[in-house]
Amino acid sequence: MSRYEMMSRYEMMSRYEMMSRYEMMSRDDAIDGSPVHHTFGPPVIAGIRERAELGRYPIRGWGARRAVPDFDDLLLLTASASRYPLEGYRERCDTRTVLGARRAARPVVLDIPITIAGMSFGSLSANAKEALGRAASQVGTSTTTGDGGMTPEERSASRTLVYQCLPSRYGFNPVDLRAADAVEIVLGQGAKPGGGGMLLGQKVGARVAGMRTLPEGVDQRSASRHPDWTGPDDLKIKIEEIREATDWQVPVYVKIGATRVDHDVRLAVAAGADVVVVDGMQGGTGATQDAFIEHTGIPTLAAVRLAADALADLGLTGDVGLIISGGVRTGADVAKALALGADAVSLGVAPLIALGCNAPTYRLPAAGEPAGAGAGIEVDVSAEYTALGTAPGHCTHCHTGACPVGITTQDDALAARLDPALGARRVANYLRALAMETTMLARACGKSDVHRLEPEDLVALTVEAAAMARVPLAGTDWIPGR
Amino acid sequence: MCGIAGLHLKDHALRERLGSMVTGMLRGVAERGPDSAGVAIHDPGGLRVRKDVGDPLAFADRIDLAGQTGLRALAHTRMATESAVTAAHCHPFVAGTAPAADGSPAPPGGMPLDGTELCLVHNGSFANHATIRRRLAAAGVTTETDNDSEVAARYLAARLGAGDDLAAALRRLTATFDGFFTLAVTTADSFAVVRDPIGCKPAIIAETDQWVAMVSEYRALLGLPGLADATVFEPEPEEVYLWAS
Repeated sequence: MSRYEMMSRYEMMSRYEMMSRYEMMSRDDAIDGSPVHHTFGPPVIAGIRERAELGRYPIRGWGARRAVPDFDDLLLLTASASRYPLEGYRERCDTRTVLGARRAARPVVLDIPITIAGMSFGSLSANAKEALGRAASQVGTSTTTGDGGMTPEERSASRTLVYQCLPSRYGFNPVDLRAADAVEIVLGQGAKPGGGGMLLGQKVGARVAGMRTLPEGVDQRSASRHPDWTGPDDLKIKIEEIREATDWQVPVYVKIGATRVDHDVRLAVAAGADVVVVDGMQGGTGATQDAFIEHTGIPTLAAVRLAADALADLGLTGDVGLIISGGVRTGADVAKALALGADAVSLGVAPLIALGCNAPTYRLPAAGEPAGAGAGIEVDVSAEYTALGTAPGHCTHCHTGACPVGITTQDDALAARLDPALGARRVANYLRALAMETTMLARACGKSDVHRLEPEDLVALTVEAAAMARVPLAGTDWIPGR
Repeated sequence: MCGIAGLHLKDHALRERLGSMVTGMLRGVAERGPDSAGVAIHDPGGLRVRKDVGDPLAFADRIDLAGQTGLRALAHTRMATESAVTAAHCHPFVAGTAPAADGSPAPPGGMPLDGTELCLVHNGSFANHATIRRRLAAAGVTTETDNDSEVAARYLAARLGAGDDLAAALRRLTATFDGFFTLAVTTADSFAVVRDPIGCKPAIIAETDQWVAMVSEYRALLGLPGLADATVFEPEPEEVYLWAS
């Protein structure tokens, strides 16, 4: 049974998220020798019962849980005799990344091709947003606002800040627009392409409500379409408006949730995008219907190749930037995404984990101790995960606002559990480690610049991944469909 | 993975001896490349390119290399890395540099020799030639083989066709191509050598008032007339060495 077949039985795991896939397998296998029901297995039964009790769909945070072909299904062909590796540490391997040089007077120039994705103040606490901004600045990369606008903490903490323009228009204003280093027009998101955002009432506190001009404590549903555009024709006008408002200084990104990627990338370019951001189905969310997260869009692996091929076909490789997001976790993921044609990657869930998401404890500096100077104090919050019906390492309860480690919350007491300086240090460490892994792999492929990785450096472990990434199945010269 | 040799005569009185000088140089690098061999010889009458699979010394005998005349020559012995051992995959790679009448990039090889050709021999391997090949193809410059060295020849020819001089084109190549390489390049009037930024593959240059020679092995210089008085040095990484007649 393939990994995918195995997982298809367990797509709906809302009541079972405390158990690993493998625990579930052994548990099923042990039921009195009676066969497992594929169509109505235990997770399906639990899901039906949940809907029967609540009368609505399950909502949660993070991205798709189901196993789909991903970067783990690719391998890099590093150097040996026919090609030569570069030495680590002393032989050059550049990571500098320039985005939006085509039209903007001030393109985005990053030290590493790894950026932080848009996550709203509202979904995240102000401390979390500040920590991400500080971390991005420390490693010379960008971070991104989100649905809800720009906070002063985030702006001042971020060397390079991308300001999102979303269908909701929450918190979008010309003052902040002109304070941005790039503007990202969001057509969609990998976790919910075609759907609008969601912020449940318990997270709509006074400050969030004020920024969004909404009443406090009321569930907020963002629009799925912007009133100013529905297609590339209107979007072209909108982009011109934004360029004029920003005096043609900063790049304009267009972000799409990965579905009809070939068409959408071409249309984003036609509308005038300097950078296309493609978010695959593993991309995270702060709160979205489970049915959206698991059943819409295409895997990031398929999306990156489609997007890169579309830009190549337009003759715009390198001129229009390509940022890929959705399930990027390691330097190996970064290297493979770049090899498939991305100019940079964007991370959401992974930096949150670096901040402390899903940790059994939170840490704060000890009294009188500067952040990061010592071990600080550590407080166990496992019981709070249990109270949410989950456990450290399995939590996707961002939507509840009850984040035990103070990241996805608007509760002041919970938010105080995240120290921005300490959190920034951890995220910066994580991003640096990713960059080191990426250059290590690029050097092993003989590249003096991570952007010189190419599809020919890759093979696939599975037929599915070979077909999606259009690289040969390992040990063969066979690319399915070619 | 290869042996390369290049010879540029400053003293045209040596024209009758070019073939025998190159034969000795080819012999000196033969063990580095037993799979195939090739030579390109620039003579006032035109460019002669011969290449074939098999033992380089037998090849030299077969084409009577020692009897050839000329003012400038490249020789190559190949130990294949990633592409096949065929006559088409042998170096030197030859690429036309003349832009088309409409100003579009130089046409691919297979065109009649018109005196604008650039010849290239390469020791090493490139690590990003697939991407550069795609970029060239998008600009209308196609390759005839899947060989990495051919991409460098097409790239240089395209740059020359676009107006770069040879030194500028070679500097651009070192900034664009990854991998380890020593390249020797000839045109109707020039001879040039360049190494990768690390200088991993061997290269020795010997120069007298009568000639300049570049080889992969010191021993390949033995027998050249006046060698005792030659200036012998290993070229610096990334530096373009160029002699024009």
